[in-house]
Amino acid sequence: MLAFIIRRVGQSILVLLIVGLVAFSMFRFIGDPIDNMLGQERTMEDVERLRAQLGLDQPFPVQYFRFLEGAVQGNFGVSYRQGRPVAEIILERAPATLELALVSGIFAVVLGIALGVFTAIRRQGIGANVIMAASLIGVSLPTFLIGILLIYLFSVELGWLPSFGRGQTVMIGENWSTGFLTESGLKALILPAITLGLYQMTLIMRLVRSEMLEVLRQDYIRFARARGLKDRAVYFRHALKNTMVPVVTVIGLQIGSIIAFAIITETVFQWPGVGLLFINAIQFVDIPVMAAYLMLISVMFVGINLIVDILYVFIDPRLRVDRAGAH
Amino acid sequence: MLRTTTALLATALMAGTASAEEFRWAGQTDPQTMDPHAVSSAPVLGFLNNVYDGLVRMSKDMTLEPSLATSWEPIGAGEGWRFTLREGVTFHDGATFDADDVLFSYERASDETADVRSWFSPVTEVRVVDDFTVEFYTNAPNPLFPASIANWMMMDRGWAEANNATRPDKEAGNYATLNVNGTGAFMLADRQPGLTTTLVPNENWWDTAEHNITTATFTPIQNPATAVAALLSGDVDFVEPVPIQDAARLEATDGVNVIRGIETRTIMLGFSHEADTLKYGASAGAPNPFRDVRVREAVAKAINVDAILQTIWRGSAEPASQLVTPALSGYSATNAARPDYDPEAARALLAEAGYADGFGFGLMCPNDRYPNDEAVCQAITAMLAQVGIEAELNAMPVSNYWPELRADNFDMYLLGWSPGGSLDHEHPLRFLASTPNEEKRLGSWNFGGYSNARLDELLPMILAEIDPAARQAMLDEVTAIYQGEHAYVPLYVQPLVWGTRDNIELTQRPDNFFILRWVTVN
Repeated sequence: MLAFIIRRVGQSILVLLIVGLVAFSMFRFIGDPIDNMLGQERTMEDVERLRAQLGLDQPFPVQYFRFLEGAVQGNFGVSYRQGRPVAEIILERAPATLELALVSGIFAVVLGIALGVFTAIRRQGIGANVIMAASLIGVSLPTFLIGILLIYLFSVELGWLPSFGRGQTVMIGENWSTGFLTESGLKALILPAITLGLYQMTLIMRLVRSEMLEVLRQDYIRFARARGLKDRAVYFRHALKNTMVPVVTVIGLQIGSIIAFAIITETVFQWPGVGLLFINAIQFVDIPVMAAYLMLISVMFVGINLIVDILYVFIDPRLRVDRAGAH
Repeated sequence: MLRTTTALLATALMAGTASAEEFRWAGQTDPQTMDPHAVSSAPVLGFLNNVYDGLVRMSKDMTLEPSLATSWEPIGAGEGWRFTLREGVTFHDGATFDADDVLFSYERASDETADVRSWFSPVTEVRVVDDFTVEFYTNAPNPLFPASIANWMMMDRGWAEANNATRPDKEAGNYATLNVNGTGAFMLADRQPGLTTTLVPNENWWDTAEHNITTATFTPIQNPATAVAALLSGDVDFVEPVPIQDAARLEATDGVNVIRGIETRTIMLGFSHEADTLKYGASAGAPNPFRDVRVREAVAKAINVDAILQTIWRGSAEPASQLVTPALSGYSATNAARPDYDPEAARALLAEAGYADGFGFGLMCPNDRYPNDEAVCQAITAMLAQVGIEAELNAMPVSNYWPELRADNFDMYLLGWSPGGSLDHEHPLRFLASTPNEEKRLGSWNFGGYSNARLDELLPMILAEIDPAARQAMLDEVTAIYQGEHAYVPLYVQPLVWGTRDNIELTQRPDNFFILRWVTVN
């Protein structure tokens, strides 16, 4: 068991190192940050001096090694664009992304399960069919288009909600800025959260619906009905509970992508999170910020997968026995 | 410090929501620093003009006017310039402005770590005569010196020393990267890089305030569609730039105005003048045709600039004949004509040069540097094909573009130039037309290596000439030279399109600087 975990952790670290190496080998293709940092009056001498100072004259494995050297000490370097430590900038931006991910996650899970159950129970109803057809929009329209449409409808035409930004934020403690405590902050959350969560919501809804339909065909549901149980008890106590196992797994895996794919939503709504920071970093070729963001996201994905893998072993004894038997 | 002001501001904003004089504006780029000497880029210098003052400043119509200096005069026969400073000016923290701060700002801005130090390359010495008189000595007579330092902003020595920011630090940042202590019309109330920057009026400003703003908040909005939506929904009062395709729609919408103008940036084509062979396209490896002036002239005649302006720019840009726009000093009025669109003549010139069957080459083009840059290059490619020369278009993001040009990887390229600093014809001459010379800091953007002995001879004389008529005569001669040799093909002057709510009055300055003290909220 312990050997399995150690092996898994070892593999995860290897994946992280490879992700970093690939990232650093790509940075040269994004362009040269020097021209963005110097004005039009710069001389070739200035260009060379700054390049040497930033270590950009070194081959990429050397640059990568330097980055790792700093990263293990918790130092992610200084942003080329802002001239401030990258760790500080990311910590400052993280609350915006996490709050958005939380709200859109809740939106996706609650609405996804509710609508999934509804469409499964009322399979033939008009309402269920309308919802199913509409859910195709959620799966097929690109995020930025949904965002722009929502902005035009609710901000420009109706004027109900702000078109961009995070509204007024309040500091909680030293490092956490929250939009949950002000009216403008809450209003600003609505459109981006819907935009970001729509895809996940339709995904969960469709999954719950098909699982539920599957479960409703099972024998124990028929027995439950035969025992004269009320519909509500049959649907929610027996059917839904058994539907949830695969749904929870998928939700867990989707948390990572909600955070990682917030980039597009954040760009459309000028939402001041880490995704927007990353987009700005690409435009400016701000290598320290890009490197730190990519590493952070891959740590998150690798971490989630590691936990899921380990949990499986705990949950499913067969996996454990099989593994042990193989050695 | 930053956090306390945020909290204070938050309570202040919640207490009195949206008073009439609250002004919110959005631009595409966040100024990357608050340090006026660290970065020489339009977003930074334009923004900081609201909080810092220079010795001189540009008026609404781009003429030089007194700011922290009340007057200036040449010393002797052109040894330098003497500035008389304004008395009774204080910085935002209450410290008095005097000649020592000018000397300090000079030391700071001319330091190796300062991006703006090239403004001071002609300066040999700065002498403090008394508390309110400063003399700048130059290596040669320099009539443009006062204009060239219009964006040189004054910083307090005491403040910089107390906060350990006596030199700009672009790589690691310092106190002046996030904080401001200027003499300007506005003070920095809150700065969250990349998010919002809030300014409040300076009650003790030395000049009379024309604006009626009580709070001004700047937010960068990168996505143009979001910016337009924010303006339409009233979430912001002013956005720049407005995408050209949205301008007509905004004009037709109630509640918003579109302000159109002409920028100082000229868009042009450049050639490889030095390379022996072509590097791209069907004729890669063949001798370089662009060394022949007839071929360059043929290119100029083959491009229908009016058609580009009508279709791509929807009529809002103006054709260009030279490296500067008519709005700038040193513009050569005697050379205002640009080559006519004449594909027949272009074909004849190509035949005469020995390219009757045409040739293929590479056209380098940025796709995120200037508005519509790639679309313009595509149009040019099609127009050149009409006269038999086939451009292989290679469009790329600007971060990749400059390194390619620096490495001489082009046959022809697109370039835009806005004369920062002096806002005079001499600026593009120095950077684009002069023979490249690293030591003399000349021709650093002359990627194609254009070289003309007479032009190189005249340039230092232009820079040193005090008499305006003699100076203009030399500029006319130089313009005729580079036009005659078709060193570049100037295409058009980039338009400036801003959008405002209709209760906002403001002034659009051709250098695309947004000056907050000219804003009135009705």
